[in-house]
Amino acid sequence: MSFKDLLSSLFTYTPENKETYNFNLVEDINTKSYPDSTIGNTENKKTKIFPSVTVNSDYLKTKYNLLINSDIIFRDFILNARGKQYHALLIFIDGMVNTEIMNEFILEPLMMRNKNNSFDGGQNRVIAEAVANNITVRKVKKFNLPNYISSCLVPQNAIKQVSTFEDCISGINSGNCALFVDTLDIAFDIEVKGFKQRGIEKPSNEIVIKGPHEAFVENIRTNTSLIRRFVNNENLVIENLSVGNITKTTCGICYISELANEDLIAEVKFRMNNLDVDSLLSAGQLEQLISDSNNLNTPQLISTERPDKAASYLLDGRVIILVNGSPYALITPGILSDFLSSPDDKNQKALFSNFTKFIRLIAAFITLLLPGLYIAVTSFHQEILPTELLFSILASRANVPFPIIFELLVLETSFELIREAGLRVPSPIGPTIGIVGALVMGQAAVSAGIVSPILIIVVAITGTASFAIPDYAFGFHLRVYRFVFIFLGYLCGFLGIALGLFVYMVSMTDTKSFGVPYTVGISPLEHVKGSSYYLPAMEKREYRSGFLNAKKENKQGHISMKWKNT
Amino acid sequence: MDIAEYLGGKTLKTFIGIVFIFYFLFSSSILLRNFCECLKIVYYPMTSLIFIILTFIIVICITLHHRFSSIAKVNLLIIPLVIISIIFLFVANIKNFSLDNIFPIFGDGLFNTFVTGLGNLGAFGGITLLYFLPPYLKEPQKMKKIYLSSIILGTIYFLLCVSIILFMFISLMYTNQIMPLYSAARYIEFGNFFQRLESVFLLIWILQMICYLTIIAKISLSIFKKITNIRDEKPLILVFGLLIFAISLLPKNYAISKFIEDYIYQYMVIIISIFLGIALLGLAYLKKRKKKELNTDVKENI
Repeated sequence: MSFKDLLSSLFTYTPENKETYNFNLVEDINTKSYPDSTIGNTENKKTKIFPSVTVNSDYLKTKYNLLINSDIIFRDFILNARGKQYHALLIFIDGMVNTEIMNEFILEPLMMRNKNNSFDGGQNRVIAEAVANNITVRKVKKFNLPNYISSCLVPQNAIKQVSTFEDCISGINSGNCALFVDTLDIAFDIEVKGFKQRGIEKPSNEIVIKGPHEAFVENIRTNTSLIRRFVNNENLVIENLSVGNITKTTCGICYISELANEDLIAEVKFRMNNLDVDSLLSAGQLEQLISDSNNLNTPQLISTERPDKAASYLLDGRVIILVNGSPYALITPGILSDFLSSPDDKNQKALFSNFTKFIRLIAAFITLLLPGLYIAVTSFHQEILPTELLFSILASRANVPFPIIFELLVLETSFELIREAGLRVPSPIGPTIGIVGALVMGQAAVSAGIVSPILIIVVAITGTASFAIPDYAFGFHLRVYRFVFIFLGYLCGFLGIALGLFVYMVSMTDTKSFGVPYTVGISPLEHVKGSSYYLPAMEKREYRSGFLNAKKENKQGHISMKWKNT
Repeated sequence: MDIAEYLGGKTLKTFIGIVFIFYFLFSSSILLRNFCECLKIVYYPMTSLIFIILTFIIVICITLHHRFSSIAKVNLLIIPLVIISIIFLFVANIKNFSLDNIFPIFGDGLFNTFVTGLGNLGAFGGITLLYFLPPYLKEPQKMKKIYLSSIILGTIYFLLCVSIILFMFISLMYTNQIMPLYSAARYIEFGNFFQRLESVFLLIWILQMICYLTIIAKISLSIFKKITNIRDEKPLILVFGLLIFAISLLPKNYAISKFIEDYIYQYMVIIISIFLGIALLGLAYLKKRKKKELNTDVKENI
């Protein structure tokens, strides 16, 4: 009997008489496959459109499960073209199209008799004619119905001819309508998107004082337009590609062709083109899918809801990724100092922004190390504390029956609990939860002798410091690793903290984001142009980030304030 | 390693490699043992020494899985901290310095100072690492500058350490002390608030020690990789970690390990690091010159 069998015989129950069951359970849901299913089919088998509208209609009715599907509209009508009538079919999804555009610019010009569609010209148009030796030579352009429909009959700005059902379905699913005309083995993919969406609002997570107050929304086109407005240059390239075998989510890769490093663009495209997932629903999912492996789980792509921040990084030579349906842009590559920077830094004078940057650096250290250091000092290195402070700590702990590690873990976990609850509850109750949790519960816990007041101060400082980290994901990383340092401090005091810090730093310096060392600008302490954590004065921000190896090194003149010299 | 191969082929390369691996493992183990003994005496009297050593070994094994450049970058962050701490220790203790403590200058006599005291050159054992640095340099043309600055930095550090100990304690006292620098740190006092800062220094010294041990272990691994031509050294990390752990447990007690450090290790440094290293470099230089001369003779004859 193997060890595995022994364990399973000890801890699992196996019925002796298996025949008592009248049904069969699927043993492994992942191995079960439906041979008829084509969902998420990654093979490039494409079905050509048939010349008969009835056949096409039947095919699509089956594809869309029309018998049970309620929002797919199949609209049959008679199309007039050059005095002739054709059987036509319009397919769209109710709620995703703009019905006014549909009626006025598609159905009306095609159905109603008007000058265009009732014009009965010859089927062949003579372009040029020449007579030589009594022989007339004519250059004739044959009448082409598809071109005639798209160029003369449908006054719509975006119309595309597609020849396969897959392309046609993809268009319908994204909010376009498909027009089938009898005798034609192609369909028209006409853009009539008109679904309800959120308007541009103020950023909710990245608030600034002096910067613009616009945030990305869920629609990728609105987001690209926001970026275009900021960059305002024809070299801004927005490449589209789809990710997800089922969802085929549209993603946009944005870069400035005259600035961004070609290798970086190629790497981003390579990673995004090589994703085998069924669905992609948010930028957060994509971030995890294209990040380098990383022991510390530090964020390697900057996630922002601010178009001005995205544009600023684009102008630095970085690559932005937008995901349709997500109000966040991903910026590649992301380095450590980016996660401690706020978009407002560049809007203020260097002295002020560097002061806040320094405060954020301290906040990061406090978030990561303060509880661990507290427990190390109180458990192993009491001599470091002034005698008076030591006495007051001892006095405050006199009524607490628990060991310090238990006390600290209870408080830290409670703090995380309050923070999580504050996020999940409806917004009007959120602040109340914070006040009730932090003030009332904290005071009650001290009065009940569960925790000491000094520990409340330590946890409160740590919590406040964690809010000063501008990037949510990096703040989360620090919050999680804080617990590791608490355990190390409790186990070995400063020895544990020092050894833990060493491993942490080595892992951090070992991390790379799209080939760029994560700690560039901080370690090694060599001068990489334009990459220092602290900002120079506005007129001295001469270089783009050196680690990006952008096509253009300088972003402003050596003397940017030329007016001073005149 | 390449120089040894150039001089005496693969046999000499393997022999030199084994000598240096042995030297690195032995020196790091003894240093680790002594440091852990001091830690135990100062802060962890109830903890078994094995556990203290084991924490270092675990960290070494984890860190060795990372790239050499990452470890070097962290060293770059920690070294300024170490230098600032020693300068701070020096400045903060100036009020406790007494010039009388350095007298008599040749207290043990000239022979003991200059001949027996030669063993103290073992303090420069870290210089051995410079022999193995060239393959890791991004810009080898800056090698001379890097070597000089490392030696100057090391010397300044030693000078500061020695001055603190010399000026603070009389010779009879510091020779019997455990971690004299730690004792010096205990004297630092700023008003009523900062009265005992030695544990902060200890935190920095632990970082310093783990940096040194990791670099030594990494270089030992790379030497082994070079002499055995293995593709991936990662499976050997645990073996090297366990070897350091085992060697550090060999001395029966602190007295023996201290004796090994003070006498055997220091002479080992002089023999292997200074004589063997310089001899190899010298012989290789002579061989190269001879070859060059032969080549010019052949060209002239042609």
